[in-house]
Amino acid sequence: MQGFIYPNEFELYWGLLIVVYPYVTGLVAGAFILASLERVFNVKEVQPTYRLALLTALAFLLVAPLPLLAHLGHPFRSYEIFLTPNRQSAMAMFGFVYAWYLMVVLLLEIWFDYRKDLVLWYRNETGWRRWVHYALTLGATDLSEKSLRFDDRAGRWITIIGIPSAFLLHGYVGFIFGSVKANPWWSSVLMPVVFLFSAIVSGIALVLIIYMIASMLRWKPVDMRCADKLAAFLFYAMVVDVSLEMLDFIHRLYESEESIGILTQLIESRLFISLVVLQLALGALIPLTLLGLTSPALSKEPIFKVPDELRRLIYLASAILVQIGIFSIRWNVVMGGQLFSKSLRGLTVYRLELFGLEGLLMTMALLALPFVILWVLVKVLPPWPEAEAELPEPGAGADELPSATLP
Amino acid sequence: MARLPSLRGPKVPQQVPRLVAVFALAAIALIAARYFLVPASFGEKGHYRAAALDTIVAREKQYAGQQECALCHSAIMDARLAGNHQGVACESCHGPAAAHAANPVEAKPSVPREREFCPRCHAYNPARPTGFPQIDPVAHNPLAPCVSCHDPHQPEPPVTPESCSACHRQIVSQKAVSHHATLLCTTCHRAPDGHKTSPRTVRPGKPSDRNFCGSCHSADASSPQQIPRINLRTHNPRYVCWQCHYPHYPETS
Repeated sequence: MQGFIYPNEFELYWGLLIVVYPYVTGLVAGAFILASLERVFNVKEVQPTYRLALLTALAFLLVAPLPLLAHLGHPFRSYEIFLTPNRQSAMAMFGFVYAWYLMVVLLLEIWFDYRKDLVLWYRNETGWRRWVHYALTLGATDLSEKSLRFDDRAGRWITIIGIPSAFLLHGYVGFIFGSVKANPWWSSVLMPVVFLFSAIVSGIALVLIIYMIASMLRWKPVDMRCADKLAAFLFYAMVVDVSLEMLDFIHRLYESEESIGILTQLIESRLFISLVVLQLALGALIPLTLLGLTSPALSKEPIFKVPDELRRLIYLASAILVQIGIFSIRWNVVMGGQLFSKSLRGLTVYRLELFGLEGLLMTMALLALPFVILWVLVKVLPPWPEAEAELPEPGAGADELPSATLP
Repeated sequence: MARLPSLRGPKVPQQVPRLVAVFALAAIALIAARYFLVPASFGEKGHYRAAALDTIVAREKQYAGQQECALCHSAIMDARLAGNHQGVACESCHGPAAAHAANPVEAKPSVPREREFCPRCHAYNPARPTGFPQIDPVAHNPLAPCVSCHDPHQPEPPVTPESCSACHRQIVSQKAVSHHATLLCTTCHRAPDGHKTSPRTVRPGKPSDRNFCGSCHSADASSPQQIPRINLRTHNPRYVCWQCHYPHYPETS
């Protein structure tokens, strides 16, 4: 503690779990927006990651409310936000934002996209997998051309609804912070937009990491056209994200409100490592430089032509650095807003505990859980191109099993 | 972006009724849950269960209220209302006293005499308003219970401490067993009067000149012979004495 703080500011009420929450929802929104690139904007190069991005978004979305439940401490009461909605409270509306995104956007899109494969897998399989896949078709096993066309159209419509929904989901998280008008570190109308673009950055970087590591584990080559395109989009999203952050920063400096003194102290002392070193240097400048020089983001031919193996490593390293940077952004927002006194005359400190419901171990478990869920999802709904089942020949009899290539 | 296709068709595809059924089930589950789980009186008066008010009203009364105390303890009440604790209700210090009001003989309220009690409000804390009486519980007359000097029913406004020991007890105790025991604090420190009432804004002075200590400890000083001497010109001339020697407990020799 340093300077003057009010007694109720000594303890920070929002800890590490509240850092994890916007981080995870950001990954969901970002991964979904990446998926929509292929579906709506017809970026064919990123097609190999389309399904993987959807499953990643789902795995992380399932974990997104868990930090809140652990933080609030009464998970068995959580359903009440659905039963007695308080429309005056943005936080209380989270349940509906979440349910809309999960039920109407993500699950529906995955279902429409996978339905053909689910039916074909079910027809070809035996044992529990057969029944799991049959249950997932909801009994809709019609594979007529008309029916498949409907799947495709519905999927595209849902993606179109999904893009503003993804914006809503993460813009909402930024809105929660940006609307705290008593807190000069949070209160900014740019907050939802900054959150959104950092979400897109983190989502693309995460799918890039998962795609590369999954390819390595599966002994499959990485599609370099796809990786190059992902790296280029990561670069563009980062340029917008960093510009917005700088705009916010310069705007604050120029406005120079009464809080500027304490916020300067905050950045120079408490947040120096996490903001200047991790967020700006490691998380933004280095990846931007690496991607700008080696990926085909700025021109068709990259500035430095490097072999595929090295380029893959550079992309992977950049994406990991970006993850560190984005996590630091969440940390700096959540913690930064609580580390200075509302008297604007003092700074306090955050004490991280190891055990306990809001401790480091819990956080690590919650960050590992989406990967476990993703592993299960990938087993049940393989997203790889070679797992896609082929439709039976038009002349084949109705009773004959269609030929399908399975993993 | 590709042209957006129309969803309309002559026949409803198989997927639609299945999905409608799933969403209808979810909606029915939500409506049923609302019907069974939302308390009947929810929302009558606001975004809460109105019957909760009756539950709270039905709880056993713990606090009597100061009017009740005044019925028997009018003298203490009058004294308190005339003093600085007029805004502090009886039960703020003595705890809930409904049981005592109902049965004054058998149920006795608590009487906090321990030293830890008063500093809950009066320990120094930068967040407290300027002028609010605050002390450092470690240094302020250690071990003495607050009530031995202060009357909690009519606390006097903070008086100027009689001596430095009221706040600097540790230093005074240490000095008392040192070779400097006979020196007054003011022998070395200039303490403006304002320091006693506003200790943090009016600071006392301390010697900034080697010659000050030299007036007793230099080789040519006219002090008693048993006092240790040094040659001021050759003995670490670039330092003020207290940068090396602790004057409240100077080393022997």
